[in-house]
Amino acid sequence: MKQACNEISQLASDSLDRPLSLSERLKFKLHLCMCSHCRDYNHNMKFIRKVTDMMRKTNYGQIRLSEEQRQKLHAKLDHSLD
Amino acid sequence: MNQLLSCLGSEKVFHFSFARMIQAPLEARYALGRVASMNKPDDPHTWLSEHGDYLYRFAMSRLHNEDLAADMLQETLLAGWKGFDRFAGQSSIRTWLVGILKHKIIDHIRREIRGRNLTEAVENDPTSAYFNANGSWSEAPNAWKDNPEDLFSSTQFSQTLESCINKLPEKQQIVFRMRDITGEDTETVCKSCDITSTHLHVLLHRARHALRKCLNTHWFGRGSSS
Repeated sequence: MKQACNEISQLASDSLDRPLSLSERLKFKLHLCMCSHCRDYNHNMKFIRKVTDMMRKTNYGQIRLSEEQRQKLHAKLDHSLD
Repeated sequence: MNQLLSCLGSEKVFHFSFARMIQAPLEARYALGRVASMNKPDDPHTWLSEHGDYLYRFAMSRLHNEDLAADMLQETLLAGWKGFDRFAGQSSIRTWLVGILKHKIIDHIRREIRGRNLTEAVENDPTSAYFNANGSWSEAPNAWKDNPEDLFSSTQFSQTLESCINKLPEKQQIVFRMRDITGEDTETVCKSCDITSTHLHVLLHRARHALRKCLNTHWFGRGSSS
């Protein structure tokens, strides 16, 4: 039986967050073989994940406290410890 | 006391056992105290210098807000200082402080969600507009030809993505940011947002679905129309 595309689109998203069950995987793969729209959709989902993954790795690696923030925090700590 | 003594039979036995009873925990306490005081820096300022950047980065990657991240960092250093006696020394100080920070961030997000009473009905599925009655695509997705490696270094693309994320309904936005932007595991997202994993999967699907549509219109659509 052909699975509806709306269900497959949910599975495409789910596959980024959890391992699909054996029957889900079967349904999913079979459907993708037959449906180019869902193939594109699945590709889009993976694309979004790839971009956000790469952004995280580059964006947050360089974050540091500014000298101003650091001074402020030292002052606040002094105040709280008194 | 006398009754206790007579129960025990002789004073000698009592002294012996009592001394042992009290001595063991005292020794243990003394030893622990000594270890703690040896490792204890003069004040949380040392932690700020040694672990400040690391903790701040951790907070920023989850809160995306400089003032808030700095506040959380300060609270963490103070909480760590007050509770330092509970630090068992089984992990490094940094790991221990990250644990405190993580809890503070989860609490903050929880309060935020509760305070603003963010709910989203599971019934009204916004993705249903893209499918016809038998569940097939009414508005078919199209293939994106760009290479993700090239895109992520483009500031313009980052801005488009950011503006698309900002358009998401608030709860979808929170779970999407936690899961995909921060890279938090699903368990932590569920815990922070007080939702079941089933609900999380529905929200994430809706968020990604809307993002896909938005990126398609505002980024990928440009290439095909020119």
